[in-house]
Amino acid sequence: QTVSVSGVVLDENEMGLPGASVQEKGTNNGVVTGLDGDFRIDVREGATLVVSFIGFVKQEILVGNQSSITINMKPDVSALDEVVVVGYGTMRQEAVTGSVASIGGDVMREVASANITQALQGRLPGVDISQTSSQPGATMQIRIRGNRSLTASNDPLIVLNGIPFAGSIADINPEDIESIDILKDASATAIYGSRGANGVVLVTTKKGFKGQKAKISYSGFHGPRTVFSPYPMMDGPEFLAMREAAGLFENPGASESNDVNTDWQGLFYQTGTMSSHDVNVSGGGEKSTYSFGLGYYHDEGVVPTQQFDRISMRAAIDQEIGSHLRIGFNSNNNFNTTQGSQVGSYGILSMSPLASPFDADGTRRRTISMPMDDTWVGTREVLEELDGQWLNETRTYATYNALYAELKIPGIEGLKYRANLGLDYRQTNNGEFTARGVNSPNPDTESFAAVGNSHNFHWIMENLITYDRIFADKHIVNVTALYANEQNKFYSSRMWARDIAANQFQFYNLGHSDGEIQINPNDQNYQLWGLSSLMGRVMYSYDDKYMISATLRSDGSSRLAPGFKWHTYPAVSVGWNIGKESFMSNVSQVDMLKLRLGYGQTSNQAIAPYATLGGLGIRPYNFGNEAFLTGYFVNSLPNPNLGWEYSETYNVGVDFGFFNNRLTGSLEYYITNTKDILLGVNLPATSGVGSYTANIGETQNKGVELALNGLIFENNDWSWEAGVNIYANRNQLVSLASGQDRDEGNWWFVGHPIDVIFDHQYVGLWQEGDPHRDILEPGGNVGMIKVKYTGGYDDEGVPTRAVGPDDRQILDLQPNFMGGFNTRVAYKNFDLSIVGTFKSGGVLISTLHSSSGYLNLMSGRRNNVSVDYWTPENTEARYPAPGGLASGDNPKYGSTLGYFDASYLKIRTMTLGYNFDNASNWMTKAGMSRLRVYGAVQNPFVLFSPFNRETGLDPETNSFGDQNAAITNAIPSRLLTIGTNAPATRNFIIGLNLTF
Amino acid sequence: CTDILEEQPRSIFEPGFFQTEEGILGGITSMYAHLRYIYGQAYYYNTTLTGTDEATYAQSADQNFLVMDLSGQGDIDPNNSRADALWGAAFSNINTANGIIEFAPEVGVSEALVAEARFFRAFDYFLLVQTFGGVPLDLGSGELAFNIEPSRTSVRNTVPEVYTRGVFPDMLQAIEDLPIAPRLTGTATKTLARLYLAKAYLTYAWWLENPNDIPTYPEAQRVDPDGHDAQWYFQQAYNIATEAIDNPGGFGLQETFYDVNLAQNDRNNELLLYADHTETSEFYNGGSLTWGNGGAPDNFAGWMMTWNYTVLRSSSTSSTWTGNIESVRREAIQATGRPWTRMAPTIGAITNTFADKTNDSRYDGTFTTVYRANTDRTPVIGGPMYNANLVEVQAGDAILTFLDDEPDQAINYPTPASLGGNIGAGILPGRSDFVISPRGISRIVYPGLWKLGPYRTDSGTGLGEPNAGSTRPYNIAKFSELYLIAAEAAVKGATGSRSARDLVNVLRARAGVWRWDNNGNQEKIVDNSAEMVAATPAVIDINYILAERSREYYGEGYRWYDLIRTQKWEELAGTYQIGGMNYGDHTPQTITRTIRPFHYLRPIPISQIDAMEGDKVLYQNPGY
Repeated sequence: QTVSVSGVVLDENEMGLPGASVQEKGTNNGVVTGLDGDFRIDVREGATLVVSFIGFVKQEILVGNQSSITINMKPDVSALDEVVVVGYGTMRQEAVTGSVASIGGDVMREVASANITQALQGRLPGVDISQTSSQPGATMQIRIRGNRSLTASNDPLIVLNGIPFAGSIADINPEDIESIDILKDASATAIYGSRGANGVVLVTTKKGFKGQKAKISYSGFHGPRTVFSPYPMMDGPEFLAMREAAGLFENPGASESNDVNTDWQGLFYQTGTMSSHDVNVSGGGEKSTYSFGLGYYHDEGVVPTQQFDRISMRAAIDQEIGSHLRIGFNSNNNFNTTQGSQVGSYGILSMSPLASPFDADGTRRRTISMPMDDTWVGTREVLEELDGQWLNETRTYATYNALYAELKIPGIEGLKYRANLGLDYRQTNNGEFTARGVNSPNPDTESFAAVGNSHNFHWIMENLITYDRIFADKHIVNVTALYANEQNKFYSSRMWARDIAANQFQFYNLGHSDGEIQINPNDQNYQLWGLSSLMGRVMYSYDDKYMISATLRSDGSSRLAPGFKWHTYPAVSVGWNIGKESFMSNVSQVDMLKLRLGYGQTSNQAIAPYATLGGLGIRPYNFGNEAFLTGYFVNSLPNPNLGWEYSETYNVGVDFGFFNNRLTGSLEYYITNTKDILLGVNLPATSGVGSYTANIGETQNKGVELALNGLIFENNDWSWEAGVNIYANRNQLVSLASGQDRDEGNWWFVGHPIDVIFDHQYVGLWQEGDPHRDILEPGGNVGMIKVKYTGGYDDEGVPTRAVGPDDRQILDLQPNFMGGFNTRVAYKNFDLSIVGTFKSGGVLISTLHSSSGYLNLMSGRRNNVSVDYWTPENTEARYPAPGGLASGDNPKYGSTLGYFDASYLKIRTMTLGYNFDNASNWMTKAGMSRLRVYGAVQNPFVLFSPFNRETGLDPETNSFGDQNAAITNAIPSRLLTIGTNAPATRNFIIGLNLTF
Repeated sequence: CTDILEEQPRSIFEPGFFQTEEGILGGITSMYAHLRYIYGQAYYYNTTLTGTDEATYAQSADQNFLVMDLSGQGDIDPNNSRADALWGAAFSNINTANGIIEFAPEVGVSEALVAEARFFRAFDYFLLVQTFGGVPLDLGSGELAFNIEPSRTSVRNTVPEVYTRGVFPDMLQAIEDLPIAPRLTGTATKTLARLYLAKAYLTYAWWLENPNDIPTYPEAQRVDPDGHDAQWYFQQAYNIATEAIDNPGGFGLQETFYDVNLAQNDRNNELLLYADHTETSEFYNGGSLTWGNGGAPDNFAGWMMTWNYTVLRSSSTSSTWTGNIESVRREAIQATGRPWTRMAPTIGAITNTFADKTNDSRYDGTFTTVYRANTDRTPVIGGPMYNANLVEVQAGDAILTFLDDEPDQAINYPTPASLGGNIGAGILPGRSDFVISPRGISRIVYPGLWKLGPYRTDSGTGLGEPNAGSTRPYNIAKFSELYLIAAEAAVKGATGSRSARDLVNVLRARAGVWRWDNNGNQEKIVDNSAEMVAATPAVIDINYILAERSREYYGEGYRWYDLIRTQKWEELAGTYQIGGMNYGDHTPQTITRTIRPFHYLRPIPISQIDAMEGDKVLYQNPGY
């Protein structure tokens, strides 16, 4: 006699557990639960069901006469986290064959932050997250397994709730995150095809659970931001000594006096604030779930007027209609404001400490006069008084929406059709206003106002057919087929005006301009791109031991030339759960051991639209005052053969769990070869054209990644967990254009990483009596920088030429390895956790110290970074003698002074928390189920950093190579630097999590 | 769904736009705009002057200037030579011209417009061939063809090939087709094309003659492919130049030399070509109207020979020297402007080239020799002000004067920190201004270059915007040069109705006419033409022509080209005198330059070499 039993398997949060095994005890009869944890099985009367799922305690349930059973699984605390989002579906981690790194929302939030990039830094192996700006609200650059492309984008694809994300990562509130899964190898990313070549970050926001009581939770934190370390500028006596040693500016400027010692940075920075408040409501009925969130984030920087504010609102609704149809809606919206980006630090840093902010009669100086320069004084007080007269505000509204409908096709078990519609819109509005004379040495400099607007419209329509079946209990099959179209339209406009009639207008009425009003053609932008895709994926697993996944995707892109728009690429990966083999059953220390192998191809089309067409540059010109006309010249050539760049990745991985899963982890090795790279090739001037985009060159990335998590100690009161991830990537440029092995103009060299410096190599300073200075450095002086000479010597050992461009060296910026760690110690209700990140080797570029920053002039003209410089009495110094041979305004070879060892170990956050006992009487009375308070210090200290030791500064980069320096074309934009951006901060926060 | 895979740009032009009439007009406008990347670009400007008898490096000079001086301050190499500005701007402009000349017949624009493109193509090739030797005529799609091939190789033509195929034919056609009067303010005319053809013939004739055996590159016989000799070209230069003088077409000489370079008189009828700028529109000016960063397309050449006069101080009391009044502040007027102290005149330029400062108005119309108090400009510096000898001075009075000649009575240079000592200026009894004599100038204190000073009409009562690039046009070609080209050709044996002396005397007579004493800041109506003409030697030699050219075009970027054309660089600029780097240095030092024959060509810039494939060693000029 068989009876039919149906039911649902739920996790501790009462969320359906897909992929759980439901087996009739003592037989081979079994099924696997569906996406909502539902199952249906025919068993003998009186049978017992064995329900298992990795990470949960196995349960045995007597069927008795029940026809419908709800099974609540309890988590096995020592086990791995189980379900991972793999794109177009979820998967048990056990069955994953590609390379996927995952982190739960709560773990990620251990680092309180404005956005997920900040929170993820150092948390996942192979995911390198670097700071590109230190201003409030700034997002960071994500690189997954290194750089592949030279001029096309290296940014990964972000997917928010299944829809490719068309916005800024700053628009996503970290508090809304349920989980983040990062697809790293091509076998995993292939389903995203051309958009996934640089890895895929899958962001899933919170949802409600079926049958869940309405739950309200609040989380928030608040605290001050303080300057981690001011920039190391010279103080008065130090500066005076250097100026005297240089001997170039004997006459002080009109505002200077040798007995003054002004700390300009002290007069500039303020204490900032970070605060965040979020409320979430979620719940579910029998056939529906819902979740709403409302958040507010406020971040005020240490540079006056710099701040970021975000209001976010999220909604997720899922409803079943009948037994075949399910529809849902997921919406993430935010409004944010960024202010104060116009306030730079260079002016303050470069001001002479010998200049007083006050006149002899005590009135505040509008400008200070140094020997060569008059600089406007923009101290904190001045900026406060200028309220409303010096503005730069960017306001963004964005809405990201996913609508879906899923239909179980009647008659064929396991076959479903799903339609996803993504509709996104993002707009930004920027306004700038600088009142007359502000930020200018001339009090009569005309006021300036500008407005800019941009709009982004994105839609995607995906049609998916999936087929999920288990045959003969052991053969699990999942087939997915996709047809999708996607289009994105972006346009922006900007106009500016001078001499605004009154300050009250700010940037709100450019029509009230008495001066020039301009709409610069270079500031207007329109880009429309489309992508058409077909994809099929088959995943099969046998007995949970052997798994294979195969994908084929075709993409057609509007950005490429006709005839070259489409490309098809395959991916396949296999997994073997060795731990489940019978021969391993005696090895009791091993709970899990899985071997994964993957190969896949992905493509990249992330070049700007219209690159195949070539383009004209503009040159405005005036013919006297008779005619004002715009000239055109060809600055990039068309390429009618522009096609795909593609990458092939090989991946090998081992996942393991030992000692009752107290030690778990994974180890991976990969090789990615990228070919036909989309390259903006700089042409020599004699071609008559600046550049063109072509499929040229090849790069390779190889790397190892290790992640380990351990429960080191545990008893009733105490527990200690620790995790570490460590990874290394070796990037290499394999080939450039035909026969070319160096592109010195772009700093690309075959056999070297993409990111290198091509410059002279600092070897020390010229000392008194060093031979051949007159030949190697004609016109040079003792105490000037000595660089490597690679030329020949004559028979007498005398160099045959002067040091010149042929002596430039290729300096590798790549770190040896990097990674992160976290540890958590709990005692009763207290817990202390620490999250850190580290990096070993590589080169850190500081434009504060190099020529491009104009802060290490060593001439005494403006203030200088505090450095140990050469004098006849101090010959062992690293920095050259003041006033020596110059190139530009800087010491000759001054660019070499900006290269430092990039190693560091940094504690990112230390948190001490207390969880109130949820059994306590008063909490129950108050209706609370969870209450946690914590205090945290962010960025408390840095260790093992030579840069930090010398300068006291945070060794994290804060700028792109073309930003926050006086000269912005010395270093390619792609290289990250430390420049005169807002200084790094140390933050102290107090937080509260509360659930009703 | 093929629609979403198609592209239609809506905010940019494709290169196909050049095949429309609007595109061709836009291309021609960009040719005028390209001048801004060469003329007024101070680093290129420096390559045309530093290292000649006109200029040397000044106290704040960096390597860009030091190496150009060839006086042991580093060697010129492909990386530090700033002739790269020309190389970088010229070829893309040549290609634009190629496109216009190629597409114009299909579109049907007038020959006169096409002639503007022809003029600029020849103009760029002429500049390139003088500076670098032979340069490529084929950019990748064939000789003088619009290049749409992304070519990373390059083959240099020889000097005679560039002249006879890249310069002369276009210039001849341009003379034929260009209008007599400009199409728009400052556009190309017949007279302009004649000037450049005459100058190209003259230069090529010298090259053929090669009197001092200066090498060329790529190797080429000094033989004209068209079968003419140097003498034929000298004669052609004479003929074309005098033809232009006889058919001025609205151009001509200004009444006085002062008027040629006076800002209020910019774009006058002596000026045949300039890189224009405007204070009316930041967009069309191409650079900020308030702050210049020292890069093209800004006109910032004038900053280089401006010393830091803002260190001048006067005293607020008459009893003791307090030195607390900033009496000459940075101001946007022609006499001052933004001080960069990168280049300085040599003592020889002041004492020899401009030996006659009395009859000849050109010294007064070239330099700022008197620095005047501007304490009345807002923000006003109030109260009484005392200067040299603690004599009271008023706004507008001279604070520092560079004397025309050595005074009879020795100048008292007080020690630092005492009266006037902060810039090492001197005192003469009874004078309220500090003084420095011609032989007392140094690399840190020297007369400024008045010609290129800024001028703004929007300063009101204030000091204006001295930190912006100059909004004046940078003058490139003048009608007066036709006389000197013809005169030079005549010295080299060309014959015609006017002798070299006749031609030179036209300009010398004009130089004798004064209507305003620039540095005296007062009216001066004097005509010294007769004295000027009388002083002209009976026999004019090439050195006299060169000296006359320097008096006429001092500090305007002609000099290096004049010296290499005539192969007189080493002879005239091999040594020079200037005082040292510090305030108070008043003792002339004699500096020797090492000018070698290979220096007569500038190195091919490193950017070209870096971006090229093929034999890079053979591509570079020998010696670099």
